[in-house]
Amino acid sequence: MNVELLLALVTGAALFGVGIYGALSQTNLVMIMMGVELILAAAMVNLVAFWRYLHPDAAAAQMFVLIVMTVMAIEMAVGFGVAIARFRARGSVEMEEAAELKG
Amino acid sequence: MTTVLVLLLLLAAGTYLVAVLEAWTASGRFRLAGPVVAGIALLGREFIVPRKPDRIFFEVAPVLLLLSALLAAAVVPLTPDLIITDLATGALFINAALVYVLVALLMAGWGPNGAYAMIGGWRFLGQLIAYAMLIVMPITAVVMRAESLLTTRIVASQAGLWNIVYQPLGFMLFFVAAMALAFLPPFDLPTAKAELAGGVEAEYSGVRLAIFRLGRLALIVTLAAAAVVFYLGGWQGPWLPPWAWSAIKILAVCATMLLAGRAMPRVRDADLLHWCWILGIPLALLNIFLVGLLVLVLP
Amino acid sequence: MSAQTFFIGFFGLAAVWFGVVVFRTHSMVRSALALLFSQTALGALFLSMQAEFLGVLQIMMMATEMSIMAIFMVMFMMDPGGLGEMDMTHQKRLSLAAGFVAFAAAVAAAVFVDWGPVAGVAPDAAQQTHDLGIELLGRSMLIFETAGVTILTAMIAATAVAMPAVKRIGNK
Repeated sequence: MNVELLLALVTGAALFGVGIYGALSQTNLVMIMMGVELILAAAMVNLVAFWRYLHPDAAAAQMFVLIVMTVMAIEMAVGFGVAIARFRARGSVEMEEAAELKG
Repeated sequence: MTTVLVLLLLLAAGTYLVAVLEAWTASGRFRLAGPVVAGIALLGREFIVPRKPDRIFFEVAPVLLLLSALLAAAVVPLTPDLIITDLATGALFINAALVYVLVALLMAGWGPNGAYAMIGGWRFLGQLIAYAMLIVMPITAVVMRAESLLTTRIVASQAGLWNIVYQPLGFMLFFVAAMALAFLPPFDLPTAKAELAGGVEAEYSGVRLAIFRLGRLALIVTLAAAAVVFYLGGWQGPWLPPWAWSAIKILAVCATMLLAGRAMPRVRDADLLHWCWILGIPLALLNIFLVGLLVLVLP
Repeated sequence: MSAQTFFIGFFGLAAVWFGVVVFRTHSMVRSALALLFSQTALGALFLSMQAEFLGVLQIMMMATEMSIMAIFMVMFMMDPGGLGEMDMTHQKRLSLAAGFVAFAAAVAAAVFVDWGPVAGVAPDAAQQTHDLGIELLGRSMLIFETAGVTILTAMIAATAVAMPAVKRIGNK
């Protein structure tokens, strides 16, 4: 077992755990998005680590990281769009006050 | 190691000369000792800390501004050998380092807990949305011609014809965007003296203000050096040695940047966004298209 | 211990620490900038794993992204300065447990899976950038183009959602 690969994967795991905690525990839409960003960042760490230590010749692995970055940007754009709409309609983006969205 | 020291000394000298030039464009008096006097005066003043500041941001912001300018300068070659690190992603790295100017200004705006400073800081975020594409897209066209992100390779690609002739549109866009990045007049929205009483600089005093101003001057020098590398053929030129050409071109670009905005009124932030997106980005795309054609057609 | 091991550990620790700060500070701007520095540390981590292009790109992209996050935090939060020390969390115990379980499961997977032989050297940075460009505009072009179109769709959708429903008449 390679120490560097293990270190990178543990970093990814820790970021994933922190992101899950944030996404579940925060009451504000923007803070929840921060949790999701951390989860995606954890995915990127793992991808880069797999590229470097398992398949350094596969450029597709690097491309995968670019796609994850794209997903992050899209998540931000759509999330903020929804946040603005919600804020206009209700004056807050608190999750506790959004119970009427429950089906 | 010696390269780093030499380049830091050269950057310091360039910063000093730009400080003299800026005082000259502002007041019309050319005083070589001016920056020294101003610096000593700043160090001698009281170091005021506003009430209830965000202390970390307040202290870090000026240093981060200086640091981002220095990092960007690390990939700019002055002669074929005089470069701190010739990164394989040099042209991208300059962008990456310069984005932290925004972070520094946001910190400087939020940290001191003052209204004018905060408005200045957030204004610069809007300004970034205006200029950012106009920095990146002209550089893309430059990189397309050089077929490399290495800054030394970019200079070498201009041996026959400088990029300012090859892609004048890109140069104009980059020049304007660089002025907006260094918040020089007429784009000095975050530090507007008249409307915001100094904006992000308003709450700073003493040694912190000195570092902030030093960082901004270093930023101007770095941007001018980047413009020289990307568009003006870097160290190339007849008769004189390479370092002399680099120095002359960088100082000339600095002087042009400082003089260009002096006579113009300050741009409104909404207008800046409007013109950058309605006019600037289509022009930048056209520039990329034209350069692509030229690269394919010319041998 | 090689320099690479040290830097991976160091930047990984920094990224995780800043990630924890995001949810522990009361000031919203600090929270957004902590996330920025977490991502920047990740960029440095990529650099120490010799993925130069990705590292520099990460450092560049995240600075703008998180600064925009900061202004939205200030716009939508009741107490952006954090001077009131409001508690903005719910179901804390459940989230802590979920986060810890996720962490433990991922670590277990990392430790117990046989990753096979580890490659010694990565291609140099210029070669990587070249390969990535060929990959993007060659074999993976369809995926790349799809990503581009998706971003465009997301931009239009986000703008459409965020626009006020009532048309303002008169002032332009």
